[in-house]
Amino acid sequence: MQETDINLLVGGPQGGGIDSSANMINMAFSLAGYNIFGVREFHSNIKGRHSYIHLRVKHERPGSLKYPVDIMVALDPDTLFEHMLDVSKGSKIIYDSAFEKFELKQARMITLDTMSRIRYELENRKLPLNINGVLEYFKSVGVILVSLPFDKIINKNLPEGPATRYYNTLGAGATMAIIGLDIEHANDGIKYAFRKKPAVIESNLKVVKGGYDFIKEMGLEAENLEVYPVKPRMLLNGNDSVAIGKLMGGLRFQTYYPITPASDESNLLENHEEMKFLKGEAEKLKTAGLVVVQTEDEISAINMANGAALTGVRSSTATSGPGFSLMSEGISYAGMTEIPVVVTLYMRGGPSTGLPTRNGQADLLFAINTGHGEFPKMVISSGDMEECVYDAMKSLNYAQKYQMPVIHIIDKTLANTMDLVPEIDLKKIKIEKYEENKNHEDYKRFSLNTDTGISPYGVFGKDIYWITGDEHNEYGHITEDVSMRDKMMEKRRKKLETADREIPLNDKVELYGEKNADITYITWGSQKTLLLDAIKELKKNGITANLLYIKMFVPFASDYVEKVLKNANTVIDVESNMNAQAAQVIRMNTGIKIENSILKYNGRHMTLDEILKSTKKIMKEKTEVEVLENGS
Amino acid sequence: MVHNFRSDLTVDWCPGCGDFGILTAITKALGNMNLDPEKVVAISGIGCSGKTPHYLNIAGAHTLHGRSIPYSVGVKLANPNLKVLVMGGDGDMLGIGAGHFVAEGRRNSGVVIILYNNSVYGLTKGQAAPTMPLGEKVKSIPRPNIFTKINPIPLAMASGYSFVARGFSSEINHLSDLIQRAVNHEGSSVIEVLQPCPTYNDVNTLDWYRKRVYKLEDDKSWDPIVKNKEEEEEKFDNGYQMSLKWGDHIPIGIMYENNTIPSFTKRLSDIVPNYLKYPPSEQDISDSEGYSILDPFETFIERRID
Repeated sequence: MQETDINLLVGGPQGGGIDSSANMINMAFSLAGYNIFGVREFHSNIKGRHSYIHLRVKHERPGSLKYPVDIMVALDPDTLFEHMLDVSKGSKIIYDSAFEKFELKQARMITLDTMSRIRYELENRKLPLNINGVLEYFKSVGVILVSLPFDKIINKNLPEGPATRYYNTLGAGATMAIIGLDIEHANDGIKYAFRKKPAVIESNLKVVKGGYDFIKEMGLEAENLEVYPVKPRMLLNGNDSVAIGKLMGGLRFQTYYPITPASDESNLLENHEEMKFLKGEAEKLKTAGLVVVQTEDEISAINMANGAALTGVRSSTATSGPGFSLMSEGISYAGMTEIPVVVTLYMRGGPSTGLPTRNGQADLLFAINTGHGEFPKMVISSGDMEECVYDAMKSLNYAQKYQMPVIHIIDKTLANTMDLVPEIDLKKIKIEKYEENKNHEDYKRFSLNTDTGISPYGVFGKDIYWITGDEHNEYGHITEDVSMRDKMMEKRRKKLETADREIPLNDKVELYGEKNADITYITWGSQKTLLLDAIKELKKNGITANLLYIKMFVPFASDYVEKVLKNANTVIDVESNMNAQAAQVIRMNTGIKIENSILKYNGRHMTLDEILKSTKKIMKEKTEVEVLENGS
Repeated sequence: MVHNFRSDLTVDWCPGCGDFGILTAITKALGNMNLDPEKVVAISGIGCSGKTPHYLNIAGAHTLHGRSIPYSVGVKLANPNLKVLVMGGDGDMLGIGAGHFVAEGRRNSGVVIILYNNSVYGLTKGQAAPTMPLGEKVKSIPRPNIFTKINPIPLAMASGYSFVARGFSSEINHLSDLIQRAVNHEGSSVIEVLQPCPTYNDVNTLDWYRKRVYKLEDDKSWDPIVKNKEEEEEKFDNGYQMSLKWGDHIPIGIMYENNTIPSFTKRLSDIVPNYLKYPPSEQDISDSEGYSILDPFETFIERRID
């Protein structure tokens, strides 16, 4: 029997219950021992515009998504229009029979540009400009239509209604029935999803039963799906994972100004200002909670975080491109005054406001070069949930150990990826603090008596010293002396050399897969797990590929990257930007030019099918740059 | 041994600068209060006023232009046991940093803002600052000032500061008293300090101010302190009216004090009960072996599935 591997898409109006629908599906399959992997896509809009969740259900933990999807759940007619081309032969589409009368011109929430694209697709196939046109297209390519009379089913099973409130539940129920999940597990999922609202469980169970019954009547019910034993897991997205890592890593001060896709991290932290600590030893320690401050702007956010760090507290802020632009001067100040601060940079599509809710990896070079003047900073990047957790912990360590700003990059796709995490190892990362000042009598904050460039860290509240954004002497007083200037510049640089020397190679870069391979992919961020999946797929076709995965851009593992690339066959750089920025960083550091790239800048997540297709094209047709276009 | 709150650095302000009086008033206030020198810190922005922390023998941060308030709030909230003095010029506080000035009123974190007001940007050679009146022509600007002025007192009151006062750089004892009152006040304070800039402002000179300023404290009927919510409207109105007096007679002293507005540290301790007992800077963050003391499967229970 082939292993269950289902790609599905739940679409509907923003604010119209798709999250709830996906949540029920997630919970049910999680409790049946499956893994789930999903990405949420939405407009910069509160209510009404099209949003969707692209999900994959598989026993072995998936790291990528695929088009065409196997099942599509349309909670509104817009979903059928928007995702017309995201299904193929054998795909099943669950939708409300009432949509069948809907005209394209009635879909006012579809943006005009998307509307004209859909119109073109229909007209091109000589199909009417309405849902019937789309359905005709589906039938012509062999898609199975699962037309459910939503109101009728809900009213029959839950006469008290109101039916509209249960569309999402019916969609979820029908999906689970079609996949073949037994109704007991479906019910467990519902109960779990609504565990904080027990009053609504009963009614939702009735609607799910209605869905199961109807699918059975239609003869679409699948064989009973295999279920597996379950261990506790956490359903996390990138925002959650970073927040968790920060708290585990001892963060006690966070600032933020609301911005997509960064705010969810701070919201989670705000929810846990009063923390729960481990039982036992922690009960005897001095513990309270963290302070989260929503500031007036991002300028305040970075500078307030810098200020807090002067007291020795672990301090950070989180933002996205536009806010990061405003933080540049504060990061430069932290560099000059050797303040340990972490800036979590959630990358979205730019420039300017760009694509506020969509993916992008175009701020890498900006992160590396942010802030005026020359000063040391670290730039690190995560690619999956576990890395988000551990890298957030490491960032706090690095910032304090090397006394410099650390920029931790997460792309929007990763921030909004849902993944089941089986384990977070409390003993994986040790909490490392700054070297504490012990000379309180004649303290020189910027002592030059150091081989590493690192001077002992004193804190406001215990030590008297000065800091200034001006060039300064060892005490932190302003100087413009030529010799002191040189010494201080060199001392600051030395810290980065120390970090480069001390940080192990596998914290900077990782080579996954066979050493000698036909293809060497290079990537960073959310494409990590995608390419690991792609490598497995290629292997099935007899193609060997490996992945040079970059986790740290400053300091950069130049020698190792150079060595790997010099011995590589076909090298393909994969990034969600237009200018192949990581490839530029590699060229800058090693002199090696990477010829091939797969790039995507339409703001949507890369999918497995398009990676495989474009790889094939590069190998066969020797095209150098493949630009990916998937997504709605 | 009595701590000397002046550092041994040479001051490089112009002779006759009002900043000297402010520096003296600060050191005097700190000495009078007998504060533990490690428990009081000075934070400044950019400009002549920005150099003040270097001249004080306490921990000091000379930060970015306009950003002294965010830095001070970071320090204060991470360690609320510290007394935090903030020094900023009129350009620093009301020009580039005006957003922070207003926002800090909403927080009321418990920092003491000393607003050096000489109506000019001194260090960049005397451009008009946000407190210079419309049409004023000082010698350093090529044409009369084309902007109207901000009155920092009502701005501070409207923003939510719970202690708002005005001092004068040559009334050192009076200013020192105001600073002491502010340091002992739980919420955030703004003290606007009128001061001459002898190099660039030849209109609002030392003599100009001397002839005009009078102390509100000399009028025994002046009571700017809100003790309960019922008094709030009347006292706010009084403070507002008083702050508008300008011309031949300029009042200095406390304009408005409202002890019914809770400080931000108080608001935080309502959310995190042990916040004041173990502030962020004082907490243990790892166990004796150096590992995390927080298990995400226990803390983030809403994300757990089993």
